[in-house]
Amino acid sequence: MPAGPPTCARGVGATAEDRGKPENQDADPRSGLSAEERGLLEAFDRLRPQGSLGWHFDDAVRRLVEPPQFPGRPNGWAGLPVDLWERGRSTKASERVLGDVVTTVAQDLSEYTDRAVEESHQRSEAALDEFRRTVFDAVRFLAARVDRLESSTDPLGMEAAEFDLPAIDASAWLDAAPTWAAARPDLPVLLGELGDDGLLAALVGRGTDVEGVDPRGPVVWAADAAFDVGSGRVGLVTAIAEVIDHLRGLPDASRGCVVLSGCVDRADIAGKVGLIDEAHRVVAPGGALVVLVTEQSAWDASLAPVVRDLLPGRPLHPETWLAVLEHRGLPAATWHRPANGSVHAVVSEVGR
Amino acid sequence: MSGIHLFVPMLHVRDAVGEHTRALRDLLVADGVDCRIYIENPDPNTVHETRHYLEYEDDAVPGDVLVYQMATRSDMVAWLAARPETVVINYHNITPPEYFAPWNNWIARHQALAVLELQDLAPTAVLGIGVSAFDADELRRCGCPEVVVVPVANVRIPPTTPDPTTLAALREQQGEDGPRWLSVGRLAPNKAHQDTIAALFVARATTSPDARLTIVGSPSEPAYARALRRYAAELGMHGAVTFVSGISDSQLAAHYVSADVLIMLSEHEGFGVPLVEAMSHGLPVVAFAAGAVPEVVGDAGVLLEEKGPRRVAQETAALCDDRARRESLVVAGRARPAALGLDRAGSDLVAALLKVAGRAQGASAVPGPDVPLRPASPLSH
Repeated sequence: MPAGPPTCARGVGATAEDRGKPENQDADPRSGLSAEERGLLEAFDRLRPQGSLGWHFDDAVRRLVEPPQFPGRPNGWAGLPVDLWERGRSTKASERVLGDVVTTVAQDLSEYTDRAVEESHQRSEAALDEFRRTVFDAVRFLAARVDRLESSTDPLGMEAAEFDLPAIDASAWLDAAPTWAAARPDLPVLLGELGDDGLLAALVGRGTDVEGVDPRGPVVWAADAAFDVGSGRVGLVTAIAEVIDHLRGLPDASRGCVVLSGCVDRADIAGKVGLIDEAHRVVAPGGALVVLVTEQSAWDASLAPVVRDLLPGRPLHPETWLAVLEHRGLPAATWHRPANGSVHAVVSEVGR
Repeated sequence: MSGIHLFVPMLHVRDAVGEHTRALRDLLVADGVDCRIYIENPDPNTVHETRHYLEYEDDAVPGDVLVYQMATRSDMVAWLAARPETVVINYHNITPPEYFAPWNNWIARHQALAVLELQDLAPTAVLGIGVSAFDADELRRCGCPEVVVVPVANVRIPPTTPDPTTLAALREQQGEDGPRWLSVGRLAPNKAHQDTIAALFVARATTSPDARLTIVGSPSEPAYARALRRYAAELGMHGAVTFVSGISDSQLAAHYVSADVLIMLSEHEGFGVPLVEAMSHGLPVVAFAAGAVPEVVGDAGVLLEEKGPRRVAQETAALCDDRARRESLVVAGRARPAALGLDRAGSDLVAALLKVAGRAQGASAVPGPDVPLRPASPLSH
C-alpha cells in the first residue's frame, strides 16, 4: 500500500535510517519491475539537477540554518540518502557550466558549513545568531550569483533531444572508418552520435567492437533494432546520453578510436573544446580521434531557421578544427576532403 | 463585531488552497460573518482582496476566530501560535520535503520547516479541519485536540460548463488520434507526471500506438517542469505529450469532457481535486492509491497499488476498451461528489467555524447552528 506514515509522524518519531526517504520507500518501489521498465524510469532520474551549483548552495544553506533554528528538536528531514549524489546528473551540470574549480569550491563550502554548524554548538546564542545571519547572507548572495551565471550561460537549457536535427551523412567515410579503428584493434571504437547508421554498419560489418552513443532515444532504439543488439551476436553496445556526459564517465585510454559527429557541429566553442579534451583523454596511445565536420553552407541549408538560431553553435571550418586540435595537444591532425557529400574528416593520431 | 478571518501565506487564483480560501470567505460573508483574508506575501492578482497579517493587530476584535489555511511554511505560524484569539487549522497537507529535495533544495527546506510548524501550531488550535481523512490523521498525530473532516469548499457542483471553442478544437484533434490521456495537477515532483509519460511510452509501443497525453498544470517547480519536457523529447514523444497551463475553469472542463481517461499517478495527495472534477465530468479515472486518493475515488475508478509503466498502460488500455466497465465507472464517478459530501462542504465548513466562534464568544454571542461535526474517519466509500 503506497500510503505511508504521515509526514509529521516521520518528523517526530522517525529513525535516522528512515529520514530522507520518500514515503514507503523502505522497499525499492521498482523492485518488481522489469529491467526495461526500470531503465525507462531511471532515464528520468538522470534529469534531476541535484549536484548543480544552485542545488549545492541551497543544501549548504539548509544545513546551516535548519538545525540551530530548532535546538533540541529532531529535524523534519535529515537530508538525502548518501548515495543519491550518484543517482542523478551529479556534478556534471556544474562542471559543464563553470568547471571543476567552482564545483570544488561549492563542495568545500558545504563541508565548511557542516563544520561551522558543529562548532556553533559551542558558542553563545547571541554569537551564534550573528554568525548564522552573516554566513546565511553570504551563501544566499553567492547562490543568487550562481543562478544568474547559470541562466546567462544556458538560458534556454535545451539539448539535442529537443531539436529536430538531420542525420549526418558520413557515407564518404565508410571505407576509411575501419582503418581508423584498426589503429588499436584491441580496444573498442566509440561513435559519438550515430548519424544515419552507415558508419555503424561499416564498423560492425568488419567485426569491430563499437560503442554507440546518442542523446536521441529513437535513434538509439533504431540502431538497436537494426543491429539486433539484444542478441549479443554483434559487438555493439548503445547508450542514450549526451556524448560529453558519456565520455566523462569513461576511464583514461580505454577506447581505440573516438569518432565525433553532430555534437561537435552544434556545440558552442566551449562545448567543442570539452568534447575534444574528453575524447583525447579517452583514446589510448596509438589510437585515433576523428572529428566529422559538416560544411557550414550545408549545415545552414539543412536546418530549419528556429533550430539553426537556437542551437548554441555551428560547425567550424576544418582549418579551424586543425587549429583547435593543435591547441589542445593534437598537433598532427590532418584534414580529409570528402569524395561525395558535405562532411569532412579531421583525423588525429593520439601520441604514444 | 467579532469575525472569522482567514490566514493564508499567499492567495493565488487557480490554486486549490487559494480558491478554497476565497470560496470560504464568500460563504462566510454571505452568512453575515465579518471575514477578511490576511496574507504574508501578496499575489498581484489578489492583492486588492487581502491584508497583510500584521495589520490584523489593528483589526482584532475580542471573540475573533482565526482560521489558518495550512499547506506550506510561513512566518504567520509562530505569530498565530502566540495570538490570544481562537485558532483553527484548515489543513490541506504538507508535501513531504523528500519529493522536492532532488529538484529544489530550497523548497525542500521550507517543507521540512512546515512540518515542524504544524507540530507547533496543532496543539494550540481548538479545532483541526482536514480536507480528507488522510489529512485528519496527520492533524491528530501532530497533537490537534479536536479534528473533523470537511472536504474542500471550491469544487463546483454541478461541474463547470466546457468552453465551446476549446472543446471544438480538442474534439477536432481527437478525430485524428488514438486514446487521449489527461493528467491534471501542478508540475511538482510529488505529482509524478514522469510516471504517466513513461506509461504512455509503453502504451504507444504496445497497445495504443496513437495514444496522446495532455498534462494540465502550472510549472510550479521549473526544474521539474523542464525535466518532464526533456523526458518526453528523449523518449521521442515530442508531439504525443502536450503541456498546458494558465487555462480557465471552462477550458479545463473542455479537456475533461474531451479526454478518454484521467491518469493520476501522484505519490502524495491531501485530497486530489482533479479526481473529483474528472468524475463529475464523466471521465473515468486510473489512479495510484496514495495518500487521500483511495478515499476520494472509492469504487468509482481504477485504483492501482503499484504503478509500473507496463501495468498502467495495460490497465488504461483495458479500461478504454471495455465499454461496459467504462460506463459503470462513469455512472459511479458522477455520483461520487455527492457521496463525498462536496455539495454541502461549504455549508459544513461554515457551520463548523460558527460553532467554534460561538464557543469563542460564549454560546449566546454567536449561536450558529449546532451541526454535528463529521468525525475524523475515512470519507464514505
